[in-house]
Amino acid sequence: MKPWCILRAAATVLLVLAVISSAGCWSRREIQEIGFALLIGLDHAAEEGKVMITVHIAKPFSLLAAGAGTAEEKAYWQVSSTGRTVFDAWRNLRQQSPRRPLLHHSRFIVFGEEFARSGIREALDFFYREGEVRETNFVVVAKGAKASEFVWGEYELEPMPSRGALGVIKQVAQELSTIVMVTLNDFLQMMEAEGIEAVASRAEQVWRPPSQDPRGQLKNEVIAVSGRETGAAAFKGDKLAGWLDKVQARGLQWVRGKVRSGILLIEQPGKENKLASIEILRATSTVTPKISEGRPSIQIKVDAVGVIGEVQEYLDPMASEEIWASMERRMAEAIRHEIEAALDIAKHEFNSDIFGFGAAFARRYPKEWDGLKRKWDEEFPKLDVEIEVKTIIRRSGLTRRSMQLVRRKEEV
Amino acid sequence: MSVLEGGKISGRQFMAVLTMVRLVPVTLVFSMVTSASNPQDAWIASIISGVVAIPFAMLIARLSLKFPEKTIIEYSQIILGPVLGKLVGLVFLWFSIQTSVNIIRALGEAYAIAIMPETPIQTFMIMLAIMSCYAARSGLEVLSRLGEDTLFIVGFIFLVACVLPYNAMRLENLLPVLAKGMSSLIPPVVASLGYYSQFIMIGMLVPYLAKPEEATKYAIYAVLISGFLTTAGCVSVVAALGTTANSWTLPLFSLARLISLGEFFERIEAGIMAAWTLSAGIKLALFLWAISVGIAQLFNLKRYEPLVFPLAAVFIPLALVAFESMVDLEDYLSKADAVAAVIIAVAVIALLYAGLGVRSFLFPGKEKYR
Repeated sequence: MKPWCILRAAATVLLVLAVISSAGCWSRREIQEIGFALLIGLDHAAEEGKVMITVHIAKPFSLLAAGAGTAEEKAYWQVSSTGRTVFDAWRNLRQQSPRRPLLHHSRFIVFGEEFARSGIREALDFFYREGEVRETNFVVVAKGAKASEFVWGEYELEPMPSRGALGVIKQVAQELSTIVMVTLNDFLQMMEAEGIEAVASRAEQVWRPPSQDPRGQLKNEVIAVSGRETGAAAFKGDKLAGWLDKVQARGLQWVRGKVRSGILLIEQPGKENKLASIEILRATSTVTPKISEGRPSIQIKVDAVGVIGEVQEYLDPMASEEIWASMERRMAEAIRHEIEAALDIAKHEFNSDIFGFGAAFARRYPKEWDGLKRKWDEEFPKLDVEIEVKTIIRRSGLTRRSMQLVRRKEEV
Repeated sequence: MSVLEGGKISGRQFMAVLTMVRLVPVTLVFSMVTSASNPQDAWIASIISGVVAIPFAMLIARLSLKFPEKTIIEYSQIILGPVLGKLVGLVFLWFSIQTSVNIIRALGEAYAIAIMPETPIQTFMIMLAIMSCYAARSGLEVLSRLGEDTLFIVGFIFLVACVLPYNAMRLENLLPVLAKGMSSLIPPVVASLGYYSQFIMIGMLVPYLAKPEEATKYAIYAVLISGFLTTAGCVSVVAALGTTANSWTLPLFSLARLISLGEFFERIEAGIMAAWTLSAGIKLALFLWAISVGIAQLFNLKRYEPLVFPLAAVFIPLALVAFESMVDLEDYLSKADAVAAVIIAVAVIALLYAGLGVRSFLFPGKEKYR
């Protein structure tokens, strides 16, 4: 045998070995060995000084059936785990989960109210240090509930609570603008930056009375607990300061320039107690900080465009110009009312600059801000805020004048 | 003309590999942002350092053009004499070796941090080194052609990462400009200039240009392209990550993680990792080639190819022992390495120009060195 033949044989053996050994990579994660966590909730554990995390892990086998609407079992597994730190609790989950839980596909970070009130700074580190958690997770605070309780809530039309909650949040943000939608990235920036306090989405539990449906079907299962996502959670530092309801949350969104759409109810001109629904088409805002004679003040300008979506009483916009102008004024007034509601609660109840007025000063007047930031807690509640709202009602839908469906003798 | 390397490269290939030299740290650790106390102004630092880097690149290119078909290793011996010249060559090699070691470790750390924390870091380092060794052994021509194609891919990924997280970006994050004064710009400018100092590699590349007279032009283009991409990266990172920008280990990677378009175009960090690997691979290949050729020229070897694999085999353990941790590496890259690189590059160029001046004073009329 020639020497190069031996070499060749040796090389072949080596290559075959290489192929066999390279069947998987070191950090491989087989799909049948992992479980995708869909959300993660944080609470204080019953034991003093411990945190409890709650996750939903998708059940891959029931996911397939869920699409057909025949699922007999829940499509997810809710499990809680405790530990001294968040990472500790997360790892302790391995004691209960036969599959390795992964956070890559998580959509929500839910804080229980009690947990949020006591400060969340320590818990947040895990979420931006651990590479599995995306900064595009939405931050939600559960009102009046622990996170572990809130995530019981299920949603009709969606087998997964995380998908259901996401659907609700997106719709509310798009169609009502009465919620603040905050990703982890936004949240961290708001917590770190000077002159702005953090906000997060507010979520509530909705209990439904059992056996709502009296008709007695074969299968009559109604979801007992559901979620409702509206409003905002306002923080002061890393502690939850309080809640903004729907009106106040939209007031905040007007200032942040995040209003996409929504319905404004105004009183119809000339008609007592009759409402007109104005659909908001779009809105923009500018926040201008001013310092005159050492006194800081803020000017908010909001430009909003709407259309008449509905009126309860007869309306003929062609009859007089005044009607149209009056509706625009009332729309502006309604917007101003919402902004003032938000300002009022932020200034006087929370003393928390969720609007980022301080940050606006820091950008515009960096030198003055250096002095201002030390006493911002005293300055913010007495800050002069000037609100200027410009509104235009563009059109009135397919209808020009309302139909007179109930003809009144005296008008005919 | 040295017989070591017979390749000829075009101006665009020259530009592409140089751009890659600057882009590697940007795609990986992005010292410009992470070393800044005030990352909001990193884009100003990027522009300043780019402006400073242009005359520097021009000086090296001009110097190389005075000695056609000679590398910096060879002409430093002509200018400064055999002893001092060889010393300058050794300093250049030492500098390049340190840079190669940094690249290897940085890529390994990046992979370990980003996706595969359990995998031993050696795996990534060895893979990168093998890939780059093959490229380096194939010669400059192959390497540069690869670099030219790779630049499009890396540039494309880079721009995608800078543009697509637009719904997370707020441009007011860039304000106020220069809130902490000009002095806060010094660390990022130094960090950036440290990487531009690696453009001293021009001295190795110019003799192999098909049209050497284009060297200055394309060196400036390389500074402009890499400066533009770096500035765009600074702006995007700060707009999307705000004041938290300098808390991320791998800012560009974190930036790409924010991309989420319509719930289906997301999780494209794999693209960033491709950019890491490609850019680091090309850069390491270039440095391995330059070090091997440099050693061969310094010690009058007939071939450089046999040096490539042993060199890489030495670099990997060096990369493992040189840094305790990622924090150690980042600290070194943004401070000591950057300062040392600037000093070395400036000292070498100044020494060579001074030597040239002294020679033309002693031997007037002999400016041609053919």
